Amino acid sequence: MKTLITDIQRFSLSDGAGIRTTVFLKGCNMHCPWCHNPETLSNKPELMFYESKCIGCGRCFEVCPNGAHKIIDGKHIIDRKLCVSCGKCSEVCYAEALVMCGKPMTVNDVMKQIVQDKVYYDNSNGGVTISGGEVLCNIEFATELAKACKTEGIHVAIETNLSISLENAKCLISHLDMVMCDIKIFDNEEHLKYTGISNSVVLENIKKLEELNIPFIVRTPLIPDVTDREENIEQIADYIKNFKNLIRYELLNFNPLGEGKYKSLNKANDFEKERPLSDGNLEKLKNIAEGKGITVKVI
Amino acid sequence: MSEIKFINQFEADKKFTYDERIALLRKRKVAQTEEKARNGGANEDDYGLIVQNEFNYKLKPNHENGSIYGYKAWTENYCSILDQHPLYCDPLDAFVGKGFLFLERLRPVDKKWNPAYPYDELQKLFDKYNVISGIDNCHHFTPDLQIGFDLGWGGILDKLKTQRELHDETHHEFYDSEIAVVEAIIRFLSRMAKEIKELGDKENNPELKANLYEMAKMNEKIAAAPPENFKEAIQWMCWFSMLSRTYNRGSAGGQLDEMLRPYYEKDTKEGILTDDEAVFYLACLFLQDSRYFQLGGPDASGKDMTSKISYLCLDAADKINIACNLTIRVHDNLDEEFFKKSVAYLFKNKQGWPRYSSDTALAEGFMKCGYPLELARKRVAAGCHWMCMPGMEYTMNDTIKINLLKTFEVAYYEMMEESEEKSVSKLWEIYQKHLKIAVDATGNGIMHHLKYQSKSQPELILNLFQHGLIEKGVNITDGGANYYNMCVDGSGIAVVADSFAALEQRIEKEGKISFEELTEHMKNNYDDKDGEYIRQLMQHSERYCGGDTLGDEWAKKISNIYTNFVRDLNNQHPGINFIPGFFSWSNTIGLGKTVAATPNGRKAYEAINHGANPNGGFRKDGAVSSMCNSIGAIQPGYGNCAPVQLEFDPGIVNDEEGIKKMADMIRTIMNSGNTLLNINIIDANKILEAHKDPFKYPDLVVRVTGFTAFFAMLSPEFRQLVVDRVTSVNGNKINDAKE
Repeated sequence: MKTLITDIQRFSLSDGAGIRTTVFLKGCNMHCPWCHNPETLSNKPELMFYESKCIGCGRCFEVCPNGAHKIIDGKHIIDRKLCVSCGKCSEVCYAEALVMCGKPMTVNDVMKQIVQDKVYYDNSNGGVTISGGEVLCNIEFATELAKACKTEGIHVAIETNLSISLENAKCLISHLDMVMCDIKIFDNEEHLKYTGISNSVVLENIKKLEELNIPFIVRTPLIPDVTDREENIEQIADYIKNFKNLIRYELLNFNPLGEGKYKSLNKANDFEKERPLSDGNLEKLKNIAEGKGITVKVI
Repeated sequence: MSEIKFINQFEADKKFTYDERIALLRKRKVAQTEEKARNGGANEDDYGLIVQNEFNYKLKPNHENGSIYGYKAWTENYCSILDQHPLYCDPLDAFVGKGFLFLERLRPVDKKWNPAYPYDELQKLFDKYNVISGIDNCHHFTPDLQIGFDLGWGGILDKLKTQRELHDETHHEFYDSEIAVVEAIIRFLSRMAKEIKELGDKENNPELKANLYEMAKMNEKIAAAPPENFKEAIQWMCWFSMLSRTYNRGSAGGQLDEMLRPYYEKDTKEGILTDDEAVFYLACLFLQDSRYFQLGGPDASGKDMTSKISYLCLDAADKINIACNLTIRVHDNLDEEFFKKSVAYLFKNKQGWPRYSSDTALAEGFMKCGYPLELARKRVAAGCHWMCMPGMEYTMNDTIKINLLKTFEVAYYEMMEESEEKSVSKLWEIYQKHLKIAVDATGNGIMHHLKYQSKSQPELILNLFQHGLIEKGVNITDGGANYYNMCVDGSGIAVVADSFAALEQRIEKEGKISFEELTEHMKNNYDDKDGEYIRQLMQHSERYCGGDTLGDEWAKKISNIYTNFVRDLNNQHPGINFIPGFFSWSNTIGLGKTVAATPNGRKAYEAINHGANPNGGFRKDGAVSSMCNSIGAIQPGYGNCAPVQLEFDPGIVNDEEGIKKMADMIRTIMNSGNTLLNINIIDANKILEAHKDPFKYPDLVVRVTGFTAFFAMLSPEFRQLVVDRVTSVNGNKINDAKE
């Protein structure tokens, strides 16, 4: 069994406890317009083009079967209507200006990378975090990967939007040590508006995590003027405050690092101009959440 | 030019806390550094030197070429300097001991080696393989300051005189020189004490006046007598630093906490020293000079040496927060609280201190040379990348660099021009042949240095702090040291490994290009038609530190063969132990300048990789774990180092949890075969701004290689190298953000 992996990030320090390796699966059921990993949204391979790395060698023009590479006004552009993401151009682009996002990999392929850092996981109470995209869109692979990690004695967590029923994920969850899940917006209409999905399943699933007795972290990405409203944070904190398995609530400051990726995919970035919240605002939101009696961490 | 005496600079009724004094002293230090930087700076340690214009010594040569050679000339010039050297005194400081010059650097740069002992044939090989031979280099081994603590200068003088009487005239040159030097030192220190008292008479502020009088009294005593308390011991160390630096930049350092612990315990028991005073004195010691000191670590029996004084050393370094070269020796029993505190300071201050060494890797390695564990544990951090048993060994640490890349270039073009077979295995065969010649020549160079160094530059200061040398009446290079453990470092391993890997992958495995085609591009520095395309092809091959890559395999292979060749020198030169390591110091630029374009896509004359670190962009995620696993795997393993140099963005740690992760990371790296770990925590934007205008952040300190330095002091070329290292860490992230 193979699945599309967008990235394997070793020595990851912000995706759970200890030192971890984060495995990014491709494909997400939500389409949050602020996503800083836009290359993980589609479940198909995608061509990314980093213009500044292009050395103008022209090899991509030669190998493209559909003539998708063009020079217009002296500028190298990719006609996305013609590009079928076959990856032939990226194979000859050693400058890594053209990169195929989404590499088909087996669990064994991924494990080969993961086990290299086992000593780091062991010494730091770290492990592996399976992320996305959305992990629950790829339950079968995630389950096999989690199982393989457990066989090696490696701590496993997932990062999930929790918006898919957990009925089919019981096997996966049985191999997990921890879940990191998002509640982005507490108001259902707003949630639907921005993510394309109702948050009712998310909220229900958090109860199920509690029932399954698995430790979890709830996270809210702080998106300026969308999720960073005081009312939103207060409502979320209020909802989660009584769960015994809640490790903590994490407020993830807005991450503008996805800007270049949007450009490389030729996608519009509605949040291009937004910047991370100030320390003062972060502190204010943290205090509001802490006021509910829960542990809060700003990342 | 800086003032050298600071009298009556404050109102008579001004009172000072220790913290205020430290802040004022630090401010002065930063201003002096800025001045040094504006005067040209230097790509090396800070040394605590003062730039001034009151004293300028003119060398008195004893050779027509304008240089000085042998006991007599070094003695006369050194004594003459001490007899004229003015006092630098800051009444805010607890101590005096600043120096203005190094005698060894007053010689003509290219006339250091005595021409009566030429090595022309060896030099041809050194030139061919770009070997920095270490011949004519000095110090780079560690004195045992306990000898001075026990005897004082007066006791040393008595011992010299007694021993002179017991030896025949073949040793008199040694004794006469050493006696003259120590007499000059005592004369100098006595004069300093007198001058401090005179300054005290002039000072109007009662608090500073009292400090000057106390300083004068203390210095008058320790001019000849041994120090008896904590404060006197540090004052003695400050003068030792100045005196050995003034001679030939001599090394010092050692296990600082253990050296001072007896004084600390005695003084606190007697109620004559508070912890606040101890911290202030230690801060003044760090201000005086950027010596290398080790803290913590196991004693001979394995018991952790961390004590209250270890903590105070960290607190003092935190307060003065300049270029402090402190190393924590990590071992299983290391005081956990102390370790965590050190990590917290590293990330709080972001000044590149402390760094960490691994007791396991260092001790186990050194024992492979035949030494017992007890001695291996005495080998403490004392230099950029090196360890030394204080007072027990001669090492030439960090003075020898074999340019592995130049050797590769020689081999590569021999294959292309003289061999019918063009293959990676053929190249490997030829490479081994040349590497062996380069290593053997280096070994012969070391023997030549040992044989004649005393005719060029005897170690008149450090000799006095070696066990047995005064008794034997010989210079340390003349067979008097307890042990001879010669440090032989290879430089540029990452470029060579990546070059072999690129050739194997692109030419032999994938058939993307031929040797002939590649060579043509290399000769044209990849600037010809399709050159950049081919350069990218080669550069993006499987790299060293990528994690189980071809580059990693090649690096291990190169390390193994290099280690074997260096260890074979033991057979060629019985009685001398040769220890391999991988390090470049700040020679990365110079060594790179001798080598044209290489198969890994490196362009002509670009810098080589730093130490054992990979080339920039070795992995998309830049994973520290991957890098450290690979560096751990190429350690030669005989007790010398192939250090890891990490560059972190300050954002990586912003709370207790982050500090714990970093502490766990350091422990893991130190338990993965690695020997030494240097960490820079630098904001990429800040360093870019400082590169543009170094004086915008005159107190910005970076760990350049093994040493920390004020960024403003570095040359633009070297600043660029540090900037490249820092910015390459987040290369892909920056790309994703800005693209």
